[in-house]
Amino acid sequence: MRARNLLGALVLAALSQGRAHAAAAPERSAAETQAVVAFQARVADYVALHRKLEAGLPKLPKKASPEQVDTNQRDLGLLIKNARSDAKRGQLFAPDMEALIKRTLAAIVTGPDGKIMKASIMDENPGVPALSVNDRYPDSVPLSTMPPEVLAALPRLEEDIEYRFIGERLVLMDAHAHIIIDFTDDVLP
Amino acid sequence: MTCFPSVRRIRLILVAAFLIAFAQAQESPTAPPVPLPNAKGSLKFVVLGDFGTGKQPQYDLAAQMTRFHEGFKFDVVILVGDNLLGAERAADFKRKFEDPYKPLLDDGVKFYGTLGNHDAREQRNYKLFNMDGKLYYSFKAPNEKVRFFMLDSTYPVPEQIEWLEGALKDSNDAWKIAVFHHPLYSSGGRHGSDLTLRGVLEPLFIRYDVSVAFSGHDHFYERIKPQHGIVYFVAGSGGQLAAGDIDPRSPLTAKGFDTQQAFLAVEIAGDTMSFNAITRDGTIVDSGTVKRRVPDTSP
Repeated sequence: MRARNLLGALVLAALSQGRAHAAAAPERSAAETQAVVAFQARVADYVALHRKLEAGLPKLPKKASPEQVDTNQRDLGLLIKNARSDAKRGQLFAPDMEALIKRTLAAIVTGPDGKIMKASIMDENPGVPALSVNDRYPDSVPLSTMPPEVLAALPRLEEDIEYRFIGERLVLMDAHAHIIIDFTDDVLP
Repeated sequence: MTCFPSVRRIRLILVAAFLIAFAQAQESPTAPPVPLPNAKGSLKFVVLGDFGTGKQPQYDLAAQMTRFHEGFKFDVVILVGDNLLGAERAADFKRKFEDPYKPLLDDGVKFYGTLGNHDAREQRNYKLFNMDGKLYYSFKAPNEKVRFFMLDSTYPVPEQIEWLEGALKDSNDAWKIAVFHHPLYSSGGRHGSDLTLRGVLEPLFIRYDVSVAFSGHDHFYERIKPQHGIVYFVAGSGGQLAAGDIDPRSPLTAKGFDTQQAFLAVEIAGDTMSFNAITRDGTIVDSGTVKRRVPDTSP
């Protein structure tokens, strides 16, 4: 267990160093640390709901057809939408968390390699005019690149959900149900 | 009257010349290139990356792979990620994967997937990517003592690195081959070397005698000069193409090609790996051999 923790620390240290010239993520204040703890609690609640609803669906086989993958995705998406019908933007990315994300990403993409990193994020990432919580992740938008430096600077997520950029929005996406859990606008300076 | 037969003859000659030229034009770009050693019992496979556009260049390259397969019976295709670019609806799996590679799939060729930064994680459950629901896994090649370590380089979480170290340590295969999307070494202007990932993976590759690593992400073909005895390939030229993206001043490049789609054909027999990089029109743009790394047993 200790060895595993040590390995984890080494990996995270390496990841957080980023590219040779990437700016380091800024240190968090006590209030920001608190915001992250609260965010992770909200994420944990979401993941618990996701897993409860997922357990009620037929298990996706490990050798599924595209139709099975798609049906399973949409079925889970529908269950989550119904269960979170009153979900609103900002419920997970609360204002304090949104502010932290913007400050963190600004520090990263304004570093010496920031232009390259932003170009990488925006590569094949046309964005969409409007987005709503519980929407299906737009089929017309390729999943964006998530540079390791960005992932290392943001709170780590459970495997069921992931961060993605849609244009300059940061989206919290349900990786299995392909729906938007929450998002925050204009996070890239 | 006297000139009529000669005009007719000239016309016939012109038509014949046109037909011959047309036939050659049809044949020459698509003629299967000379295969590798093509030895009986060797492991034959193809490496393909960043291919799933559903557009004509992907289909052309897939057709070339099919023609190549007629003379070089590869059993396996190794996918280095970005398998489906853009939408991933059921119809997209068909248009961007099942249709272009249908002849190979029908012929029993098995494709093994890794996920790129544009791939949804649900692809791990797609039967034809043979990932068995896993984001990272290893599998033994059907012949020769070869094991592929298929990684998820978008999320190199500590659990995965811990798994990789254990799997490499436990492997007594002669060839250990790493496969993942983001290249540790690349001369690409758009992405280039992922130094972060290199810091995590390369020490393990060196320690546990990985001989070769295949990646994609940068949309071209590149063979990197050996680094710490390991040969790195970028094979992100399967569909999307970043023409002119290889930095010509890069000291890393052993051979680079970025003006046409290409796949990499590989053959392992004993301690030698042979490779050909083959373009959409059937031209071999790189070839050579690699010797496997052997454990350092010196005291």
